[in-house]
Amino acid sequence: MNEILLQVENVSKNFGSTKALKDVSFSIAKGTIHSLLGRNGAGKSTVVNIIAGIYKQNSGNILFENEDITKFSVYERQEMGIKIVPQHASVVPHLTVAENIFMGIWPRNGAGFIDWQKLRREAALELDRYGLHVDAKATVKSLNGVDQRKVNIIRAMHGGAKLIILDEPTTALSSDERQELFVFVNELKAKGTAFIFISHYLQEVVELSDDVTVIRDGMAFSGRGKDGFSEKNLAHLITGEEVKLSQRTLRKDIEKSIVMECKKLNGHILKDVSLKLYSAEITGLVGFPSSGARELCRTIFGLENIYSGSVTINGKERFHVSVPDAMSNGIAYLSYDRHREGIIKLLSIADNISIPLLNAELKTSFGLFNKKKALDIAKHYFDLLNIKANSILDKLLNLSGGNQQKVVVAKTLASNPNILILDEPTIGIDIKSREEIIENTDRISTEKKTSVLYLTNDFDELIRIVDRILFFQDGKLMRDIRNDGLTHEDIVRIRDEVKRASMQKTTSYIV
Amino acid sequence: MEKNKALKTRLLNNIVWILLVLTIIIIGMMDSRFFSPVILGNIVTQATVLGILSFAQAFAIMLGAIDLSLLGVMSFSATSGLILVRNGCPVPIAIPVIFFVGMAIGLLNGVLIAKLKAVPLIETLAVKLTLLGAFLAITSGRAITNLPPSYKWFGQGNIGRIPVLPLILALVFVIVYIIWNWTPFGRSLYAVGGNPEAARVSGIKVDRITIMAFGFSGLLAGIAGFLLSAYTGAVTSTFGTSYDMNNIAAAVIGGVACSGGQGTVQGVLGGVLLLTVIQVGLQILGVSSYYVQMINGLIIFVAVLLDAIRLKAQQS
Repeated sequence: MNEILLQVENVSKNFGSTKALKDVSFSIAKGTIHSLLGRNGAGKSTVVNIIAGIYKQNSGNILFENEDITKFSVYERQEMGIKIVPQHASVVPHLTVAENIFMGIWPRNGAGFIDWQKLRREAALELDRYGLHVDAKATVKSLNGVDQRKVNIIRAMHGGAKLIILDEPTTALSSDERQELFVFVNELKAKGTAFIFISHYLQEVVELSDDVTVIRDGMAFSGRGKDGFSEKNLAHLITGEEVKLSQRTLRKDIEKSIVMECKKLNGHILKDVSLKLYSAEITGLVGFPSSGARELCRTIFGLENIYSGSVTINGKERFHVSVPDAMSNGIAYLSYDRHREGIIKLLSIADNISIPLLNAELKTSFGLFNKKKALDIAKHYFDLLNIKANSILDKLLNLSGGNQQKVVVAKTLASNPNILILDEPTIGIDIKSREEIIENTDRISTEKKTSVLYLTNDFDELIRIVDRILFFQDGKLMRDIRNDGLTHEDIVRIRDEVKRASMQKTTSYIV
Repeated sequence: MEKNKALKTRLLNNIVWILLVLTIIIIGMMDSRFFSPVILGNIVTQATVLGILSFAQAFAIMLGAIDLSLLGVMSFSATSGLILVRNGCPVPIAIPVIFFVGMAIGLLNGVLIAKLKAVPLIETLAVKLTLLGAFLAITSGRAITNLPPSYKWFGQGNIGRIPVLPLILALVFVIVYIIWNWTPFGRSLYAVGGNPEAARVSGIKVDRITIMAFGFSGLLAGIAGFLLSAYTGAVTSTFGTSYDMNNIAAAVIGGVACSGGQGTVQGVLGGVLLLTVIQVGLQILGVSSYYVQMINGLIIFVAVLLDAIRLKAQQS
């Protein structure tokens, strides 16, 4: 076993009368990746904040390189080599890669001004050293998600990091980008850096970790079973109960009718997409970023323009769709970006759920806002989706991520849509909440005959819930396959085949 | 912990009322004349113009914007109405014209901000300077006086024994309260101010809500201009300047978050009463106008600090 770098010893933390952490102990060795798992609100963030020095524990010790660091401030701990890379890449998008790496520690010339040449030179060296092949002079916003995250990590490394805390680094990344990030992290690990890795994706945790600690109800449990870690075992530890993975209750006997038809749809990214959606059917979408899968969802909902072609909804052919149009025709969309497009943090659960209905059900015949009905609807979905909060009047900023996501789901369902578009509905939430969302999706498609478009990069989740899968590449619909026992590997294989096919075609055009 | 936090948030959201009571007690202790019916009547009368302007400002701040053009809108719209009156136009026609001019300028602000994505602070600054310039050019810097009694009645008259001005304030308060709490537009205002992208994805026509909010803002500024000119019986070159920045302070002290999407109409009214009590109190206590200026500055300072503390208390 390697030398111990960080030791958390019997740490307890109270917030008022709430015991957030009870006697938590674990240790991290140099050059290892230690994952921290737990449901939203279980106490993971509290642990991390205590290690970083943002919170002070009520009892217990934190030892870093055998020294008790309890008394040290956040800044002193950073100096010692404890660095956090937050969930949302904390880079300044308009500045260059070089400036982002050296922010706050700019090299100076004799007169005390910033030495730009040295800054660029050294940044290029750092990029080279850690194997990130981008131009140091490029602005960070021109990089893709995974490279932005790498810039963040390099910045931490340059500051002398010995322990890097990665807080849900993969949430916004595609599965290939994830793999790329893992290779990068493993290389740094081989050179002796230790990582605390926080994620909700058990598969990647099992793949990447040297050790796992699960936090449940403020207590720490070792994730290591008799035979190492398994996803099943970890899921059990996280929830404290057997989690039943939901499975689509596929009913062949339900009569299906066409609810939407796209004809030769061209738009943002989309090229000549023709397809039909049926009632009571869940259609999965698979494709790389900018392949057209997400763009289809957003175009149908009116968030992107249609250049040519048409969408037929409720028997009426349309050449232009706006969001209010789409909504009044029974389409609802759940955005992949909860913070940007989903929630309004300062408003209550009830207010958030009522927003899409303001100009529909919640308008009285006098044109006024029907507050009582708004509260009734909110209460109904609050109970149905098992949202954890004191009441429907709680503000969203006081809710955990998983419960915020459930509010977004509630908001989407509240309009009783005929066509429900779910764009990464389970991103960044714990397993229990995820299964509840999947179960509800299955239920409404059967009970209310809702047609569902389901986009997720978690293919294990996808194959459990969808009836058929559409594969997209370069804006085109490439394959339309029924989900008769497809596996995760099948999906990856078909997606990659489709990509190759598309590339060959493009090349032949050039020739 | 939870309880404490809820209590703290409630306290911070209603701090304007605590400050108001404290201020009244302190000023009353320093000079007992303060509690006379005349002075109290004075306060509600003086609060009217500031109140309506602060509601106007609150529409903009709810969207996370600051409307600097209000003073310009108010002087320009009042002047245009008065010029009509001077040229023989009947008062019942001139008054709606004032409101209409105010609303039209507000809608223009809204269109430029929503459709062209102009930065509200700078766009409204440009409108303010232009309108104030136009106002001075039209009047050549001379005061417009000799307003007809039917016009002045709205600012100086009484219904029974109650002055008209506070009645109008009460009416506007009720209307704005209904708009914010009981109409889809009002609820949309909270949504757009809180997170415009989420509002858009929820089917709210964000541009339309923005334009309407600025339209209301302009309309209310027009009403304020009308009432102030009726109250003072004249429009001079320093028309309304004492209300220029106070309306922002009143709205923010009253709990409308500078970042948008949060606030109540009652809170704004509380802010208005607090500021008016301080103004009138300083006059009664005979504080020199130099200090009054400084105290006004400090009040805005307090407002912005309160806003920051509220935000921090919610996030921790």
